[in-house]
Amino acid sequence: MVMDKTVKIRTENLCFSYNGRAILCNSSMDFADGEITAIVGPSGSGKSTFLLTLNRLWEAIPRCTLQGAVEMRFNGRYHDIYGRDYPVTRLRRQVGMVFQVPNPLPMSIYKNVAFPLQLKGGVPKENMRSRVEECLRQVRLWDEVQDRLHASALDLSGGQQQRLCIARALILRPEVLLLDEPTSALDHAAAKAIERLLLELKRSCTILLVSHYLDQVSRIADSVVELHNGRLVSKAEYD
Amino acid sequence: MRVLEQAVVHFSRLCGIILLGAVLTVIGYLFVHGWSSLGLSLIFGATPPLDALLMKRHVFNGLFPAVAGTLSLVALAICWAVPMGMAAGIYLAEYAGPKIKAILNLFFDIMAGLPSIVVGLFGFAVAVFLNRRFSGAIHPCLLISSMALAFLVLPYITRTTQMALEGLPLSARMTALSLGASRLQNIVRVLVPQSLSGIVSGIILAIGRCAEDTAVIMLTGVVASTGVPRSLLSHYEALPFYIYYISAQYTNSEELASGYGAAIILLCICLVLFLLAFAIRKRISYHALYRA
Repeated sequence: MVMDKTVKIRTENLCFSYNGRAILCNSSMDFADGEITAIVGPSGSGKSTFLLTLNRLWEAIPRCTLQGAVEMRFNGRYHDIYGRDYPVTRLRRQVGMVFQVPNPLPMSIYKNVAFPLQLKGGVPKENMRSRVEECLRQVRLWDEVQDRLHASALDLSGGQQQRLCIARALILRPEVLLLDEPTSALDHAAAKAIERLLLELKRSCTILLVSHYLDQVSRIADSVVELHNGRLVSKAEYD
Repeated sequence: MRVLEQAVVHFSRLCGIILLGAVLTVIGYLFVHGWSSLGLSLIFGATPPLDALLMKRHVFNGLFPAVAGTLSLVALAICWAVPMGMAAGIYLAEYAGPKIKAILNLFFDIMAGLPSIVVGLFGFAVAVFLNRRFSGAIHPCLLISSMALAFLVLPYITRTTQMALEGLPLSARMTALSLGASRLQNIVRVLVPQSLSGIVSGIILAIGRCAEDTAVIMLTGVVASTGVPRSLLSHYEALPFYIYYISAQYTNSEELASGYGAAIILLCICLVLFLLAFAIRKRISYHALYRA
């Protein structure tokens, strides 16, 4: 239970199965607003799947079923994210996600970061340009790419690509950020840079971080959830 | 094990060489026999080329009407087949449920295996029906031929589009969705541009098939001599039919050489159309993915 804090995400009796195999079983948990919550557990315990249930991205995978409820607090009230009146595109604009393996689209650096805004529409070009710059500065990539914004994003290094993906997730100013082992493919320095960035970001959004590195968890997480055999079995508070 | 591996490698290399050799032999044979006939007079006869191109004068004893007919036929057939084939492929890959997909896959496989003469016969039946329905105003023509050809190549475009989309990794499928793209936005702005290479392969296959098929057009509107097609409802000439006609009816070696020359021109037209398809793909990819 989250004590004395605003609950941002609430899951109730979440059960998820893929191809008839149960991945998550009766997972109920509250996640506090403005915190970094680390989700830990052995490989195959359902950590990444759990993240996919929070932005409904599992719906893109065939043969999956989900039961239970997920509520998120947006604009001062809780919304059932699986409710008919809550559009999935709106949810995914409010809940950003960064994957384990950097996944820039085969587009220019600029277009990758601006892409979510272009999808949303209604943003003037000048604003888009300044937002792209703002996000690239936020992830400390601007100085490295400012003179080649229209080059392919696929030519960037792994660490740069991951920072680009974080910038792309941030451009819509999400209220929740889901990070699936974002530093696992990076070297020590790049991982440290992303950790510093996450500590800054938690002022403006709630972060759920899947990580295998307990030292990383102890450095940046405010609380820890452990997933074991599809169940949320323990939660400890970190200072 | 090492010997077996080497044997497989050598056999594979040999098969590649045989294939390449066969293609080069066919092209070489055509050039040896048709080289002497190649020239502007083969295409334009005695008519000045500029006058022929500007439609000021008719071309007699030249392949210009057949070249114009073939290009019109291919362009029209591709115009019908590409949007429909791509839409069907997108539906199969992205929207169809497992049962509908299985049924439609079987249907398109059967359609791909239809002999072209059967498709031609169907086109002819449609032309006869329309002729009766519209009191003789419609007869076998360029429009009917192009539609019959589109029907013939539709399964290639559909299946290659479907396979190109289904071949994309799940990560590519999820990226735009995770950024708030709707399903349609994901298809139009990410999945189709990333699959263009595979889709264009299907279109190239379709162009080649449209340009070379004789059985379909023989029953649906092509004639040996009528000039440049003036409308969609007129008869037309086409290179594959000319090649067939001349090889069956030639009276001297010059006529036969002009048949080989027509075959070389047909190959060149296919090459130009393939290059055009590649250029369009590159342009669309750039436009869709890189332009700010």
